[in-house]
Amino acid sequence: MDDRYAVQAEQLWFSYGSDDPILQDVSFSIPQGSIAAIIGPNGSGKTTLLKILLGFLFPQQGKVWILGKTPQQARGDVAYVSQRFSFDKSFPITVLEFLQLSHPQCAKEKIVQYLSHLKIAETLNMKLGSLSEGQLQRVLIERAMLGDPKILFLDEPAAGIDIGGEQPFYELVLHLHREHGSTVIMVSHELDVVANYAGLVLCLNRKLVCQGKPEQALSPETLRELYGKEVALYHHRDRS
Amino acid sequence: MMEILAMLQLPFMQRALIAGIALGLILPFLGVFVTLRRMSFFGDGIAHATLAGVAIGIVAGVSPFLTALGIGALFGAGVYLLERKTNLSSDAIIGVLFTGGLAIGIVLISLQTGYQPELLSFLFGSILSVGPQDLGIIVGFSAAIVLALLMLLRQLTLLALDKETAWLYGVRTEFLDFFFYVLLSVTIVLGVKLLGIILVSALLIIPPTIAKMLAPSFKTLIGGSVIAGEAFIVLGLMLSFLLDLPSGATIILVGVVAFLLVAMRQIVLRAPIR
Repeated sequence: MDDRYAVQAEQLWFSYGSDDPILQDVSFSIPQGSIAAIIGPNGSGKTTLLKILLGFLFPQQGKVWILGKTPQQARGDVAYVSQRFSFDKSFPITVLEFLQLSHPQCAKEKIVQYLSHLKIAETLNMKLGSLSEGQLQRVLIERAMLGDPKILFLDEPAAGIDIGGEQPFYELVLHLHREHGSTVIMVSHELDVVANYAGLVLCLNRKLVCQGKPEQALSPETLRELYGKEVALYHHRDRS
Repeated sequence: MMEILAMLQLPFMQRALIAGIALGLILPFLGVFVTLRRMSFFGDGIAHATLAGVAIGIVAGVSPFLTALGIGALFGAGVYLLERKTNLSSDAIIGVLFTGGLAIGIVLISLQTGYQPELLSFLFGSILSVGPQDLGIIVGFSAAIVLALLMLLRQLTLLALDKETAWLYGVRTEFLDFFFYVLLSVTIVLGVKLLGIILVSALLIIPPTIAKMLAPSFKTLIGGSVIAGEAFIVLGLMLSFLLDLPSGATIILVGVVAFLLVAMRQIVLRAPIR
């Protein structure tokens, strides 16, 4: 183990029950302070890998170190925004109560300041169940960032956000990453997002197919190997 | 008015009211988490399975209340373990244990000869059935349960909202889940003397359901649930005494009427303008 790395995974194997292993001999390292993306087709083990890194699941074989510690020891250093935060929408909890529940020591002023920063200051006393998907994801990002985590794990965090809202959302993540110096590790289906924001890409299809910088990892050959069909990225010159 | 004052002088009514107030605190309080975690069927299942504990007590000649408490806690722990160690759904496990507990109770009671008045009071609840020893058990356990709920309020809420994130925030999720199942089981059994096996779970569900429709925040949800639970119990017990009706059913009917009124208010307020 080496604490220069946010994450080190060594020969991970994992299967659900008697099914074929969904992770097979997966090894990689993610340096601290980077933005890493895990890509791959459905059922490739992306979310399972994330859950092992977070300590929610235990690999049958292999080892994981988070900041040089076990995932269990490192849980105070990490934050997580899941793909879907499903809860009873009729449950009357306000955004302020929800955030204070997760961070009881956090001053209200800091919560308000973060909400303003995320451009959702008006939601402070609104019920969580009444928020739009975009507002809810921002609240979840705020919940994650309020604890000043060293590593932020995101599992397809923009899944519920409409098309126009995706780019501002990832700009926000990038801004938080720069401001806090947190390592960001995200699972994503959106190759354009990965190309634009990630510094390191891990291509997973039960095995680690490739890893490297986006320009290496997102080549047509690698993508064909990963997805099993013709997939390519086209860059628009006028992209703003 | 005179009748109410006379009623309050009666020792059995005083015991029923004190027990009711204690139950009105813990059942709706825990009910907030039961509704949030969509565990209504668990409450029903545990209550029915309690019949096995009652029957064991009757057959063995010991306090059926105490044996029911033990069996209730055992069923709660059993559901927890089976949910985690098998691939069965929670509904299926509770369904099997619920009917199994009932079946054990019926078989054991059928072996007894003669009329079983205690059994009927457990089934339907009775204000006459809370003896001094029962009152001590109900009040003592209720005080401990309220204390535990207040101490674990944050952890229980985080767990109910999102188990994985709760773990990241330092909650010992598996232990707390187990503790919650056992706590809930014991709480339900505490309520069967007054409310009856068949109806006790309604006091877990109705107060938080009403409060959910009115409360603007989580704090008011808990406060509102407890106030509603206490109001239903006190009013229901008084009506039960004055009209000579079974206590459990009367308390629950008061709650159902309140629910219908609040639901109608919500329907009227949300009606589209044509």
